[in-house]
Amino acid sequence: MYKIIPLRKIWLSLSAILVTLSIVAIAVWGLNFGLDFTGGSLLELKVHNQEVNNTEIKEALEPLELSSLVVQSTENDTVILRFQDNTENIHREVIGAIEDSYGIEEGETADGQASIEELRFDSVGPSIGEELKNKSINAMFLVLIIIVIYISLVFKKVSKPVSSWKYGIVAIIALFHDIIITLGVFAVLGEFMNLEINTPFVAAILTVLGYSVNDTIIVFDRIRENLLKQLDNFAKTVNISVNQTITRSINTSTTTLLVLLSILFLGGESIKEFILALAIGVLIGTYSSIFLASPLLVVWNDFVNKKKED
Amino acid sequence: MKKITWNRLLKPSQKGKRRWIFVLVLVFAVLSFLIAGGSYYNQAASWAKEASNNTVNLPQVQEKPFRLGLDLQGGTHLVYQADVSEVPEGGRDEALSGVRDVIERRVNVFGVSEPLVQVNRNASGDYRLIVELAGITDIDEATDMIGDTPLLEFKERPEDFDPSQIESSQIEIQPETDGTATSTATTTATTSIDLSQEDINSPIINIQDQANDYENWENTELSGKHLKRSVVQFNPTDNSPEVSLEFNKEGSELFAEITEENIGSPIAIFLDGYIISAPRVNEKISGGQAVISGNFNLEEAKTLTQRLNAGALPVPIELVSQKTVGASLGAQSINTSLQAGILGLVLVALFLIIYYRIPGLLAVLSLAIYGLTVLAIFKSISLILALLMVIIIIGLMIYTFHDLKVFDSILSILLITIGIFLFIYALKPVTLTLSGIAGFILSIGMAVDANILIFERFKEELKSGKSLGQSIDEGFSRAWPSIRDGNISTIFICLVLMFFGTGSVQGFGTTLFIGISVSMFSAIVITRTFMLMVKSKYLNKKPWLMGISNKYSK
Repeated sequence: MYKIIPLRKIWLSLSAILVTLSIVAIAVWGLNFGLDFTGGSLLELKVHNQEVNNTEIKEALEPLELSSLVVQSTENDTVILRFQDNTENIHREVIGAIEDSYGIEEGETADGQASIEELRFDSVGPSIGEELKNKSINAMFLVLIIIVIYISLVFKKVSKPVSSWKYGIVAIIALFHDIIITLGVFAVLGEFMNLEINTPFVAAILTVLGYSVNDTIIVFDRIRENLLKQLDNFAKTVNISVNQTITRSINTSTTTLLVLLSILFLGGESIKEFILALAIGVLIGTYSSIFLASPLLVVWNDFVNKKKED
Repeated sequence: MKKITWNRLLKPSQKGKRRWIFVLVLVFAVLSFLIAGGSYYNQAASWAKEASNNTVNLPQVQEKPFRLGLDLQGGTHLVYQADVSEVPEGGRDEALSGVRDVIERRVNVFGVSEPLVQVNRNASGDYRLIVELAGITDIDEATDMIGDTPLLEFKERPEDFDPSQIESSQIEIQPETDGTATSTATTTATTSIDLSQEDINSPIINIQDQANDYENWENTELSGKHLKRSVVQFNPTDNSPEVSLEFNKEGSELFAEITEENIGSPIAIFLDGYIISAPRVNEKISGGQAVISGNFNLEEAKTLTQRLNAGALPVPIELVSQKTVGASLGAQSINTSLQAGILGLVLVALFLIIYYRIPGLLAVLSLAIYGLTVLAIFKSISLILALLMVIIIIGLMIYTFHDLKVFDSILSILLITIGIFLFIYALKPVTLTLSGIAGFILSIGMAVDANILIFERFKEELKSGKSLGQSIDEGFSRAWPSIRDGNISTIFICLVLMFFGTGSVQGFGTTLFIGISVSMFSAIVITRTFMLMVKSKYLNKKPWLMGISNKYSK
């Protein structure tokens, strides 16, 4: 039997440290919001039969006075341009300016000659980005409220020794723990690897919410079941329950991570940030259901008991 | 003899019932495969036919493709903000559907296979038009055209026009009187009501090519800006739908002039260069109020008013967001991600088989059926097949829960909800985007989880000394509350995503919802049926095949 509850101080401290570090990371570096939220344009170009370099492109675009222009080369000879302006006219002027600078005539596609292929152009108005942010936050709060209500209802029958709403609150604490740490990791990755937060990231966070709650509920379910059999020692019962479900928790996250990691390392470029967020969230979610949620229940119960004794 | 067989069929023993359900599950699996992988079956059928020199003649099934989102097949996603400040509050929805109609027609010029033009009204009352052009990435021309304000023109026949070319129809325009329609001598006129109407035999359309000939008409000074509004109304004498026009002051004068000059001949109304109506003028119409009447039905009258209003009401639209995905980028992404996903699944299958042995193998089979079912639901299925699939899924679930003695009212509400949603999604294709596929992959994870929960419980029961049969029963009925509570909370999240999310988030919620719903069926019904089928005295003696140590042998 693993000493999960007896060693609860270690696990809880570890979680506290991780959460603190994450909050510091978010506070210091901020979250690297992408186009979907900030508004602006992203233009991905492939230049055929011509060496491209970032300074040349920047120089070519200077007369257009684009605000906060970033030029970035990626693998496979593609260049990504980002700028705040988002009108169709600017888009055309940018393409025109680059074509001029490489002496490309419009519509020319003869073999061996330099030409530009536009792989992607995304532009988002600032109002849309703001709206998306609000919508995402609303959706998340709605999910949280539903989860608390649902857990309180499900655990109504087992209100001793810990009342049912406390299960809900502990599950939510575990959720915040998971989300804060995931965001913290993205703050670090955003700073050092320029990883961005876009709409798919919101879907990922919501999935992590679901996964983490699912995981926590399964441990709680076992606690509930065991509590109906014996009531003598809450801490002991919780430890038994966690041990009974730990194989399942680890096996399930192993299988989920097997799929996620293969997509992360071998899959398409465009969903990497999404999959990474999912993988981190699943990992933290598994940790929190074993090492945070159940120990917290015990700590809370001890705290209430001590108060009664005083 | 016969009677005994019937009795066996109608009142089967416990074992017989299991066999029946097993057969039903197999039928279901074949059905799902034929829908999800129709092309593979057809290839195999053709191959069998050739290989056996036409002796094996399997029927071919209908192949339906998946509907891929823009990010997978490449294309352009445009969002326009509509400025409705000059349209009165009540008429905005109507005005926007007029604009939508115009844009749809403009987009059709590009030959996009399934253009999507949607009106979206957000919480703060802003109207957005979402235009998706699959397969088109060079959109300079498209954005120019879509952004233009619709142009409504009133035209008349040039003086040298040969009137013998006009064919007959029954649309006419007349002054609006106080409720009593004056029926002046009804001469004939030409018109075209529905531009997209494909019925070549309709007299209305016969005329269209000729009437549409822009050259044959001459511009008048009257245009959309003179038209105040157009509404559908009903003729007080015979209750037939008509379309009324109301001009502003300048428009009234122009209209009176034009009608005076054109008594006996048609005037044509063009929207974006397409003729939308060409009623014949019977008399001079002054006062700025007119009615177009004829043999159109309510729907046609509505369309005509919408079109007239689209040209009359100023609803300027502005491009606020655009996304272009090159087809190559999308295709590359989908292929690598798909391969990676399949590799991941193979690893999961290996893990399950190595760790859980026989139950693991059964779970892999059950998950394969699960995958086929979900893919089948992603495609559009015919009404009868969809109904059949959903009835089998829900019916077998109710039966199994009943058997496990866990069926209650909450569960029946859940099953009905799932049934209705699955049925709806089975009928219409689910658009697959990258995040939608991610939702599907995650749901596979959850389906695996349900199996793992059951097997862990099953192993615990086996270790506590119970027989194989008892352990199977206990394993399922004890794992169920955990599966239920976990899945219901995820289903709630999916519903929030489906109804409050946008675009990709919505797609993710939809596929995850379908996946989780089917995952319960797969774990509780299919895996259990398989487990009950392989249950035998032999396996009772070989606990290592069940993934536990041989010391638990009985």
